Amino acid sequence: MPEYSIDELIIVCMARELRGEVLVSSVTSLGALAAHLAKSTHAPDLAVLSTPESGMDAVPMPTLSLGQFLTDNQRAIPLTMEDIFDAIFTDRFRIWINPAQIDQHGNVNISVIGPWDHPKVALVGSRGIPEDTSHLSQGLYYLPSHSPRTVVERVDFISGVGYTPERQEWLGPLGAPTCLVTDLGVFGWDPATGQMVPRTLHPGISAGTVQERTGFALDVPPSLPVTMPPTAEEMAIIHAADPLEVRKLEFLSGKDAGEKFAAIYERERQTLHAAWPRRRH
Amino acid sequence: MNKVVSCDDVVAEIHDGATIAIGGSSLSRKPMALVRALARSDRKNLRLIVNVGGPEVDLLIGTGKISDLVYAFVGFEVMGLAPHFRRARQQGSVRFQEWTEFTVMAGLDATIKRVPFLPTHAGLGTDVLRVNPAFRTIQDPFEGQTLLAVPALRPDVALIHVNLADPQGNGVILGDGHIDSLCAKAAKKTFLSAEQILLPERLQTYGHDVRILRTLVTGVVEAPWGAHFTGCAPDYRADLTHVQEYLAAARDGSAWNEYLERYVYASDPEYLHALGSERTLGERLRV
Repeated sequence: MPEYSIDELIIVCMARELRGEVLVSSVTSLGALAAHLAKSTHAPDLAVLSTPESGMDAVPMPTLSLGQFLTDNQRAIPLTMEDIFDAIFTDRFRIWINPAQIDQHGNVNISVIGPWDHPKVALVGSRGIPEDTSHLSQGLYYLPSHSPRTVVERVDFISGVGYTPERQEWLGPLGAPTCLVTDLGVFGWDPATGQMVPRTLHPGISAGTVQERTGFALDVPPSLPVTMPPTAEEMAIIHAADPLEVRKLEFLSGKDAGEKFAAIYERERQTLHAAWPRRRH
Repeated sequence: MNKVVSCDDVVAEIHDGATIAIGGSSLSRKPMALVRALARSDRKNLRLIVNVGGPEVDLLIGTGKISDLVYAFVGFEVMGLAPHFRRARQQGSVRFQEWTEFTVMAGLDATIKRVPFLPTHAGLGTDVLRVNPAFRTIQDPFEGQTLLAVPALRPDVALIHVNLADPQGNGVILGDGHIDSLCAKAAKKTFLSAEQILLPERLQTYGHDVRILRTLVTGVVEAPWGAHFTGCAPDYRADLTHVQEYLAAARDGSAWNEYLERYVYASDPEYLHALGSERTLGERLRV
C-alpha cells in the first residue's frame, strides 16, 4: 500500500462523494483536487470550474493567484454569477465547504465566533452558504483539523442551516448536510433524527480519539469500517495536479505556512506556463 | 459623448452619506485607484454595498470613510481576515448588515426591475435572517410557501474597474464578471476605471466581452494598474506580496499611518513609484 499523508486521504474521501453531471466549484485547493480526482476516475461527466464562478471544464491547478488565468490559458468555458446561482437553485452544483464550526445537526458557521452583535472574533460573513444550504441535494463539508473548537455542540452562528425545526418548516430536505470529511474520519447525518453519525474512521484512528476531539457526545459504534486509503493511481493524479503542493497550506500555520506560501507564489506562474502555454489576445 | 475624467473628478461626484456599490470580488478586479482617491478625500458617512469584499472595504474602514456596510463576505481569502473590518465589527464602530451572495445580487436586481423586493428561499433557517433587520419573510400568494423577501438595494454610485473601455463608457471585462454588470445597472451613476482606453471602433471588436454598456456610464478614468493590489485577469495577477505588507500595516497603528503616507496619500504615479517601477511590477505580476 502506498504511503500517503492526511491531505491526500481527505481529498480521496471528498472525491468519492462526487458524481453525475453537475458543476463543481473549486473554491479551495482541497475542493479543486477532489473534483479533479473524481472526474479523472469514477465521475467523468463532472463539469469542474477553475474559479469560484467560472472556467468550466478547466483542469484545475490549485493556485494562490492564477485561477482566472487557468480559465484563459485553457480556453475553459466562461460562466457568469447568474449561471452559478441558477445552477445552485436547480441543484446542478456541488461545493466542498471548509467551515469554521460545524455542529451535531450539521449547522455551519463562517461568520463569527461569539455573538454576532458583539463578536469575540469577526470572521468573514456567510458568503453563498445560505444559498447552498437551501437548494443543494448534497451538503458537503470538510475540516483539516477535527477538534472540540471546530466540531461543536452548537455553532455560534448559523451561516448554513443543518437539521433544525426551521428547516423542517421552511425548506425540506434540499440543502441538508450529507457528508463531513475530517482528519479523523467520514461522517454523515441521519435524516430521521438530524444527528451526526460516523460512517468510517481513518486507519489508526480509534473511537476514543474521535470522541475526545468532538465537542459533543457522539455515539461511535465499536465496529465501524475503516476508511479506504488512497490507491497508487489516486495519489499519482493528486501529485500531478498539484506539483507545488498548494494543498498543504490548508494544514499549516505561522512560519511554515509563510515560507510555503512565498515559494508557491514565486513559482506558480512557471508551473502554469509549463502546463498551459499562454493564450495571446 | 466623451466621458473621460480623472479619479478626483469621480470623487467630486460622490457626496457625504452616498451609497456606493463596488464591483470586483475578493482579490479580483477591485477599482483600487478610485478607492484610494476616495480614501484620501474628506468624504464621510459613506454607505458601502459589496458582495465579496476585500481590500477596498478594509481600506475605506481604515480611513474612516464608512458608516454602513452591506456585505456577504469581507476577507483576504487564503491570506487571512481583514484587520480593519474585524476591528470595526468587534468594536461596533460601523453599522454592519450581513447579507449573502445571491441576496446582494437580488437586491440590486430588484432596483433594476423597479420592484421593492425579490423573493428567494436562500437565507431561510439561517441566523442571517435573525441579525439582518432588512430581511422579512412573506407568504407566497400562490402556494402559501414562506419565502425571504430581499429588499431593493439602491446605490447612488457604482465604482467598477475593467480591462478596456472607450471614451463613451463601454467597458470590456476579460476575466470573471463578478456582479459588476448588476452594480452598473442598479446605480444612479456608474464610473469606470480601465487599464486602457481605446477608440470605440477598436473596443467594439471585443464582441461579447463588452459587458458594461455606455448607456449606464457617467464617467471613465484611464488607470493603468488601477486594480492593484488586487488582480486584473488576464492583465496581471493579485500582488500577494503587497497584500502581506498591507495586512502587517493594518494590524499596527503607527505602521498603518506610514502605509497611508506611502501608498494612499499619494498620486497614482507616486503610488506606482513606491511599488518599484512599472517594469518590476510587470515582472512580478504579468502572467
